[in-house]
This record gives sequence, C-alpha cells and structure tokens, in this order.
Amino acid sequence: MGKSVFVRIYTSLLVLIGALIVVFIIMNVLPGDPALMMLDPAESTPEMIANMRHQLGLDRPFYVRFAEYFVNLLHGDFGNSMLNSDPVLPKIIKHFPATLALTAMSSAIAVVIGIVLGVLSAIHRNKPIDLLARLIGLFGISMPTFWSGILLILIFSVQLGWLPAMGSSGFKSLIMPSLTLGLVGAGFIVRMVRTSMLDVINESFIVTLRSKGLSERAIMYQHALRNALIPAITMIGMIVGEMLAGTVVIETVFSRQGIGRIIADAIMAKDLPVVQGVVFFSAVVYIIVNLLVDLSYSFIDPRVRRAS
Amino acid sequence: MKTGRKLSWWKFGAVTLAAIIALTGCSSASNKEGNTSPAKAEETKAPVQGGELTYALATSPVSLDPHTNGLAVGVRIINNLYDNLVVQLPDGSVKPWLAKEWTISEDGLTYTFKLRDDVKFHDGTPFNAEAVKFNFDRVIDPATKVSNAFALIQPYQSSKVIDEYTVEVKLASPSQAFLRNISQGTLGIVSPTAAKQYGEQFATHPVGSGPFKFVKWDENSEIVIERNPDYKWANETAVNQGAPYLDKISFKIVPEEATRIGSVQSGQVLAAETVPPQNIVSIKNDSKFQLLSTNTGGLPYTLFINQRKQPWNELKARQALQSAIDVTSIVKSLYLGTYDQAWSPLAPVTLGYDASLENGVKKDLDKANGLLDELGWTKGADGIREKDGKKLTLHYVDASPNREKRNDIAAIIQQQLKEIGVDVKVDITKDYVNQIFVNDDYDIYGNSQVNADPNSLYPFYHTAAPTGRPTLHGYSNAELDKLLEDGAVEKDEAKRVEIYKQVQHHVIDNALIIPIYVFPYTIAASNRVQQIKLDALAYPRFNDTYLTK
Repeated sequence: MGKSVFVRIYTSLLVLIGALIVVFIIMNVLPGDPALMMLDPAESTPEMIANMRHQLGLDRPFYVRFAEYFVNLLHGDFGNSMLNSDPVLPKIIKHFPATLALTAMSSAIAVVIGIVLGVLSAIHRNKPIDLLARLIGLFGISMPTFWSGILLILIFSVQLGWLPAMGSSGFKSLIMPSLTLGLVGAGFIVRMVRTSMLDVINESFIVTLRSKGLSERAIMYQHALRNALIPAITMIGMIVGEMLAGTVVIETVFSRQGIGRIIADAIMAKDLPVVQGVVFFSAVVYIIVNLLVDLSYSFIDPRVRRAS
Repeated sequence: MKTGRKLSWWKFGAVTLAAIIALTGCSSASNKEGNTSPAKAEETKAPVQGGELTYALATSPVSLDPHTNGLAVGVRIINNLYDNLVVQLPDGSVKPWLAKEWTISEDGLTYTFKLRDDVKFHDGTPFNAEAVKFNFDRVIDPATKVSNAFALIQPYQSSKVIDEYTVEVKLASPSQAFLRNISQGTLGIVSPTAAKQYGEQFATHPVGSGPFKFVKWDENSEIVIERNPDYKWANETAVNQGAPYLDKISFKIVPEEATRIGSVQSGQVLAAETVPPQNIVSIKNDSKFQLLSTNTGGLPYTLFINQRKQPWNELKARQALQSAIDVTSIVKSLYLGTYDQAWSPLAPVTLGYDASLENGVKKDLDKANGLLDELGWTKGADGIREKDGKKLTLHYVDASPNREKRNDIAAIIQQQLKEIGVDVKVDITKDYVNQIFVNDDYDIYGNSQVNADPNSLYPFYHTAAPTGRPTLHGYSNAELDKLLEDGAVEKDEAKRVEIYKQVQHHVIDNALIIPIYVFPYTIAASNRVQQIKLDALAYPRFNDTYLTK
C-alpha cells in the first residue's frame, strides 16, 4: 500500500514535468508574438518591436528560457506575467479558491444528480422516470455550457430576478455556474450508473438474494448499488478533471474570477509564465484527485484491499 | 445497452422538445420587452450626492498607467484617474485644463504652457512644470514599455522647466495635431513620485490628479475607484467643476455580451457598455432603461486594398471592387440600422470630414464587370474570371475573435464578389499581426482607429519612411503625401479643412479603401443613472453623473 502511493507520487512528478515541457513547446510553436500583442501593430516600428522583445527576454533561444524557468520553479519562483509584470504565484493563489469552489460544487452536483437519477433510472427501467432521467442526462452531455449558461441567466436573472447574472461573491453567485457545469458531469454519471446498475441487477447473486426473501428495497440499496458504484467512482476522477477544464468557459460566461479565465486570457496574449503556472496548478489538483480516487477503492471494494 | 436502438426515437424527440422549449422561451422574453411603452422618464431634478455606480465593461484593461496602456477599455478608466494639460471639445476646439493658457512660437516648434497652481495628485504631491517634463520624457523613454502614447506624442523632442508653473515644450517639427493629441487619455499626467516609487507596478497602482482615485483592482472581476473630495479643476465640458457626485464607481468585467446586458436588465449593474445591435432595439423600447450612443472619431472601419499585390495595383481592378461591394446592404443587415455607414477615410465627427462623399459610391455590377473585362479578365466555366491561366482571387484577411461582426462582413463580401467573378478566399486568423504586418500576405485587410485629429490619416496614407512600417495599402503618391504634410502644419483651420477634403477625395477617387461603418460607443443603463456624458472621443465621463432613487 505505502509503496504503491510512493510510486504514484513519483510518476505524478514525471507527469507534471512532462506537462510543463509540452506547454512550453506548444506556446513557442504557436503563431503570434507577445511583443506584438503589447504594441499597437499599426503604429509601431520594427525598432520598437525589437526593443519590446528584448525587454521581455524573447530574443534568447527557447531552451535557455526553459532551463531558466525550470531552475526558478525549483526555487518556488513562478516568474512574472509578461503583460503587466504581476508575479504569477500570488495571482494563482488568489484566483484558485474561486475555481476550486466552482469545481467542487459542480462535481458534487454531478455526483449527486448523476447517482440518484442513474439508480432511479435503472430501478424503474423503461418507465417514465427512466425516460426523464435519461433526457436530463442527454441534455447535460449534449448542450454546450455557454448556451445552457446563458439560458439559465435569461430565466433566473433577467426574467425571475432570483440569482445574480454574474460575479463571484457569495454562495448565490455559485449556484447557476455550478449547475450549468454540474449537469454536464451528471449526464455522464447517469449513463454510467444506470448501465452498471442494470448489469449488477442481472447478476446471479441478486437472484439468490431475492430467493432468500429479502425486500426489493434492501436488495437494491444495500447490495446492488454498492457494487454498481465502483465503476462510477473511477469516473469521478475524470469528472473532476472535466469540471476543472469546463471552468474556462463557465468563468467567462458568468464573469467569475478564477484561473480558467486567467489561462484563457494568458493564452490569447501568449503570456507564457501565467499559462505555465496555471497548467502546473491544475495538473497538481488533477493528480491529487485521481490519487484519492484510487485510494478510495480499497475502502469501498474489499477485493481491491485484498489484492494489494 | 440492450434497449438503445428501440429508444433512439425517444432521444430524437426529447432533443427536439428541449430545443422547442428553449427557443420559445427566448422569443417570448423578447416579445415582452418589445411591448412595453417607449416613453422615457426625463429627470430634471437637482443632482444627488452619493451612491455607487456599477458599470459593466466588455473587456479588461491590462494597464492603468496611461502611457503603457494600449487599449480603449483602459482609457475608459484612465480618464477618471488622470487629467490632461488640455481638453478637446466635441466641436474639435482645444480648451485649457491643467494648463491655464499657452502660446505657440511663430515656427510652431515651441509650446509654452502656463499651469494651474492649485492641483494636487492623489498622493498629495503637487502638480507643476517638473511633473509635465517628467511625464512627457517618460513617454519617449525606451525603458518605459510605452504603447500608443509614443506615437501620439510625436514629434515631441524635449521640455524645459521655466519656473514652478511654466513649462516649455519643444517639437522636432510643427504639428497641428499636437494639442489634440495631448488631450487624449493616453497622455494623461501621472504623479512622478508614484511612478518612480512603483516602477512597472504603476500599471496596477495608478496615481493621478483626476476626479476619482484608485481603490482596488480585482483581476477579471472589478476595478473600483472613489470620489476625489479635493477635486476642483474640472475642464469646461463638465457642469460640476468640483468633486464628483458619485461616491464610487465599480467597473465590472463581463466579457460575454448576453451576460453583460442580462446583468443590466436584472438590475445587478446600473450600466453596461458595448450593446450588441439586437439588444439596442429592445433597450430603446424598454421604459426602465436608456441607451446612450455616440459615434467614435478618427478612422472608421475601413478595408484597405493591398496594392503590392496584382492586380490590385491597377485602379480599374480596385474600382471594380468599389462598385461591386454593396456596403449599404452589409451595414443594414448586420447592424440592424444601429451603425452608420462610412463613406470616407475619416469618421463624420472628426474635423475636416467631407460630407459630400456620402452616397457617392453606388453599387453598379455592370460597371464592375465592365472594368474587369477591360483589364482582360474573362469569366471561366465556373464563373470565376481568368487571365493568362490565372484565376482572379482575392485574399481577405480578418482577425479573430469576431469583433463587431467583422468576420461576417468578410463572408458577405465573398458572396457579393462572386457575382463579378472574383474568388474571395477568406482567412480568419488569430495571428493577423504576423500575416499583415510582418509577412504582407493579404489583398484586403480592415482596420479602424479612434482618434481626435484628422492628422490620424498621416500614418495610414502617407508613404512610409524607409525604416518605418509600410502602409496597409502600399500606395505612394507625391500629391497625397504633400497634402498630408500640409495638413499636419496648416495653422488656418478653414484651409486645413480644405486640405483634408482633398485628401479624402483623393483616397476615394483612387479606390484605396472601402469604408464600411462608423463604430458607435453604446451604453445600456438603468433610468436611475443621470448625466453620463460621452466626450469628443466617445469616452464616458462621470463628473456630472448622479443616481436617482
């Protein structure tokens, strides 16, 4: 057990370094020049551009810049934004909680709605409740969030006036964004739980339990659900990643603060230190969540515990 | 899933139903707005002291240091934090502000400004001749990461402090645009003490002498400024010469337009800028809201035809484009009557605008076809013209994202030019800077610039200096160059206007460009908001603004 955790952390570090290298290369290969983004293209002379490139350190070779970045990173220095010289680390630390709150809340919504609807849908297979659950799941998966988000704003802010259309202060402002994003995750979980629940229901041990005279309720919630949840939990790790990525769109639509918006702006401006910093933090969160998911198997499923 | 196939019709039905619900939901919402009475309450009460104005911006500024800011949205905030030496009135005249009066030497090279002696920056330090010298020198200092300010201050050379409140400014060459240029927010006067203290961090710690003081900048969320209680040096465009009525202004950053307008309609903010055309109509018809709109000055959105590319170096080929592109229908269909069509290289509010050009160029497909026939381009089997085995193509480059529906203009022109046998290749790219300015890889590219003086035509139409950036059209003509040089220095305003009229005719007669639309700055606001004023460059000013209950 301890050894496997160590191996996981070790490989996670490699994944992190890999992510940083890939981002560095992509940002350098992508067309566009941060110096040109900062000057008015119609009014600046080649001389001004060269001067700006020099000030930003862009006139040095790519590998020199990466080596320097990496050494600084080991010292805990994430560098400064090219655009306005803001230090990157405090910026991320400041904006991360809002994104984390949105990710956590929408993941929770996804899991709760997903599991409840998935179970109901399997138990009442082909009944109206099943169709409704699957309709909601389909809606979540297939509707783009920028569209469903605006729809929610039109209904709950403009028409009903119940919830704020934008901003990131207070719990109320978290409801619509996390619902929009959570429905996407719920859509995936509904299908997953429904399918695995149906598989379990058809297994022979359920038939045995039935023949022993257990109530249908006890069979479903104590025996079937527990087994059906294992594949669903694997998915939660992925859903959290999905939700984290989804914040890029959601934070813009609902005008929330957060690292999703920071990275979107930074990519547009080719502000490499900021992009790197956000990727680093997102990768860390994703790795930690998946580590926790893996560890949680052994608590839920005795077979895993015995195997390790 | 065993039941998957059987239920696929259910899925289809469900999606259709969801779509219908959503769409009918939307349309009934807009009907409701359309039905309300168009009457607007006209407030004539005395201004009320206090309150917070919430104002949603479409994009975020990058810097609140006027000299390093390169964005119009930055100027909207900067204008409240800093003052300028002079102010430009909507009629184009230049009036005193921080400078009480000034004299210009006979050769036009020396400006002597007498300054107000009662002005203090927000950090308590006094404004004086030394501060003016520091500011102007800072703009031309290569160590400052200056943006538009550098081009705007040209041909500035140096400043000399004569006494505490007198400063002498030297230019390298005479310029009739200089005073109007230093009236722009980008050349606002910063506190020298604070600028030295904060260095590059001044961008997020702005200190000026304006009617509002900086409070905080919460990135991607809001920028808050508060009333400067000591303010008593407003320029003559403001009725209220003293401290503003509002306690605070919170600029919220809301990039998504539906959310921005939604937050005004739901009452979460009191005002929002850049209203999309489809919402302009509904806001106008809603008695709870008002719409403010002013056309921007300078260069309207203009398509430049690149004459470094064949066959666009030939006048007849360019005239064919001029006659085949139906700008009137483009502007009507895309902006629903909320934007004005542009007819000249200058916007109508700018000094020297020639209204006689309006309705001059008309759609005439026969003329366009005839011109291309004359040049020897004949239609092939696919309807595209050919000459010497070469197809007549036009490489139309436009920037992404789709600002003000400019990408849609490209798509419509592509259809329109098909009718005269020109194959338009539309290229929408994020990397337009490299493609246009570095690689010169385009036949048509559109641009616009908000500016105060007709001399803004100079960098766009005068033959480029050998070391400078080439012009977008690559056209070089001694007569046009001479006119632009004369316009820059002519002291007699009537003569100056005459010169710029000739410039505009020259540009249109030689079909250097296709002018498209004049951009209006628009604000949707609750009826509680009174007296937001739009200045000569269509930037909002809040000196007189107050809120009613």
